[in-house]
Amino acid sequence: MNNIVRLFCLCFLFLLSETLSAHAVVTQYSLKITPIQANKSDNVTLTFNSKIELGLSQIYLVSKGDKHQLLTAENSSQQGQIIIHVPALDVGDYAIKFKIFAADGHLTEDVIHFTVLK
Amino acid sequence: MAGIADFLDSLVGGFDLICYALTIGGLFWGLFVLRPWNITSANSGLLLEKTIALIYKGGFLLAVAQIFKLILKVWLMTAVLERWPFPEFAQTTQFIGGIIRAILTVFLATYCYHTLRQYPYSKTHWVRAALVALPLIVSGAWLVHAAGRFDNQYLQMSLTVLHQLAAAAWVGGVLQLVNLWFLCQKKQISSEFWSLMLRRFSRFGVVAVIMILASGLPIALQYIDSWNGLVGTGYGNLLMVKIILLGMALCFAWLNKRAVDSYSASANDYIITHRVPYYIEAEAFVLITLLFTAASLASQPPTIDVPTLTASWQEVLNTFSPQIPQTISPSHTALIAGEAGRVAIIDQVPSLAATEWSNYNHNIAGIFLTVMSFFAMLSYVKYLPSPLSNLGRYLPLTKYWPLGFVGLGIFLFFRSDAETWPLGPIGFWESTFNNGEVLQHRIATLLVLLLGIFELSARMTKNPESKLPFVFPVMAAFGSLMLLTHSHVGFQAKSAFLIQIGHTSMGIFSLILACGRWLELKLEKPCSDIAGFISVAALFQIGIILMFYREPLY
Repeated sequence: MNNIVRLFCLCFLFLLSETLSAHAVVTQYSLKITPIQANKSDNVTLTFNSKIELGLSQIYLVSKGDKHQLLTAENSSQQGQIIIHVPALDVGDYAIKFKIFAADGHLTEDVIHFTVLK
Repeated sequence: MAGIADFLDSLVGGFDLICYALTIGGLFWGLFVLRPWNITSANSGLLLEKTIALIYKGGFLLAVAQIFKLILKVWLMTAVLERWPFPEFAQTTQFIGGIIRAILTVFLATYCYHTLRQYPYSKTHWVRAALVALPLIVSGAWLVHAAGRFDNQYLQMSLTVLHQLAAAAWVGGVLQLVNLWFLCQKKQISSEFWSLMLRRFSRFGVVAVIMILASGLPIALQYIDSWNGLVGTGYGNLLMVKIILLGMALCFAWLNKRAVDSYSASANDYIITHRVPYYIEAEAFVLITLLFTAASLASQPPTIDVPTLTASWQEVLNTFSPQIPQTISPSHTALIAGEAGRVAIIDQVPSLAATEWSNYNHNIAGIFLTVMSFFAMLSYVKYLPSPLSNLGRYLPLTKYWPLGFVGLGIFLFFRSDAETWPLGPIGFWESTFNNGEVLQHRIATLLVLLLGIFELSARMTKNPESKLPFVFPVMAAFGSLMLLTHSHVGFQAKSAFLIQIGHTSMGIFSLILACGRWLELKLEKPCSDIAGFISVAALFQIGIILMFYREPLY
């Protein structure tokens, strides 16, 4: 009986979650103020509430049909801020999807939607 | 695989805090409560041996937990980033701080194992152990929430370390009391220690709680800037859960203190030997859950950072408002048709069918639990009022209420994964072993079925020595941990928060269910009946929350 109880406890331990924990969140982003113009490469800045380990983070551009394109980014001079290099885009709906490793050890996934206008 | 790593990370965070409480709290216990250098009793050797064993075992386990946390981070990053995270990870504060903390912990545990164990009555060695622990305590500051922040960083780091220290003193002390009671119960040490340590700890505990509040309040004020933020965000919600759990633990502490005062006045030890030990066990349940909640809180973005994602108190209240349960499910075809649009990033279309499917599952599960717990409450009734007296002969049948879990398990089996057998096109074995989420649901279903069978057997067994009855409260406490430690899932979105708030409430009731049933099994009548009734009333409350559950459209 003890073995059954132990197995039972182990099974309980195997009940898992699906998503990631979240601590680093975007507190400001430049797209709010300066939308991206069509057919012109641009930079987007994201400001986080926490220090970011950029070397352990990934940023994607998501376009129609959920196609993913890896983007490059660099640290800004302001703490917690990164600059993302966005290529020239056609008019339409897009999203920036990021996986960010914060200095407090938490890995966050999030998405910011935006529209490219003429 | 990222899900497994993330979930284990939450669990290890809580386990880490328990080990920390065992080690650091154990040192506080030795220095301020036990004070071995003043002990004159001849048979105190075993007590000191066990006390120090808890400290060094906690220390070694803390080091293992710390290393395991780093391994999990590597695993998580490899799974999420789809690449090996070194050498970048080796340069992070988390990695360097984690390794340093693990080394310092091993150093402390080794000192306690090799030296303190040899000189358990020496005040000098206890003080030296505390000094050896100091770097470990300080190193923890670089691994807390505040370490990644920009504002008042060092003040927040210091306050968090103080908060952890005070909590460790309390929880570690309670765990040492449980250890002491086991020794007294087995008559391995003199029973005089029990009353003496209870008296000392009741004073020490008050100081620890004051320190917890004094260090926790400024942190809360820094991270939460409004009342709405307290009720309308994941961070605020988990803080409220912590406050409620603290309140529960303080209730037990107050019962214990009252019993100790009464013993001091009357010298009658009935309550301190027949009730207090079990109150302390229940308090330990609550405090362990509290530590896991604290670990979960550390993964939340502070309220102050998510002003646009804060739900209003009216929205929060609305999630608990009574509604007619949804008893008609959308068709399986409608559900599958809406899935592609729901999970899309661009051109996302919320799926009404998915929301209604989920509402139906929760509401029907709520009806199961409400009906079961209603019969469970009836099982405590000895006589029915006169208009219903002829139904009294059916009352003994109410003890079979755990059978409802079997029905619930069958329901979950059919409804959990719409796309798999028996409702969907994917076969049973293919879905079970190729999809981690489906595997989880299958295991959950099996567990619910087993829980029903275990609890039914436990309530019917004639063997007074059977350990079977303890499976249910332990599992309920574990269920509570699951509900509370998973509350961070997708918390950035307001709709996800509104989903989770019901789950954290159920987590608290699940803990009440666990403590109540535990005390029912341990205490004597009539206290056991009161505790048992409170326990099933908490199950009833979980059923009500599920029955009124409404998922936001997303």
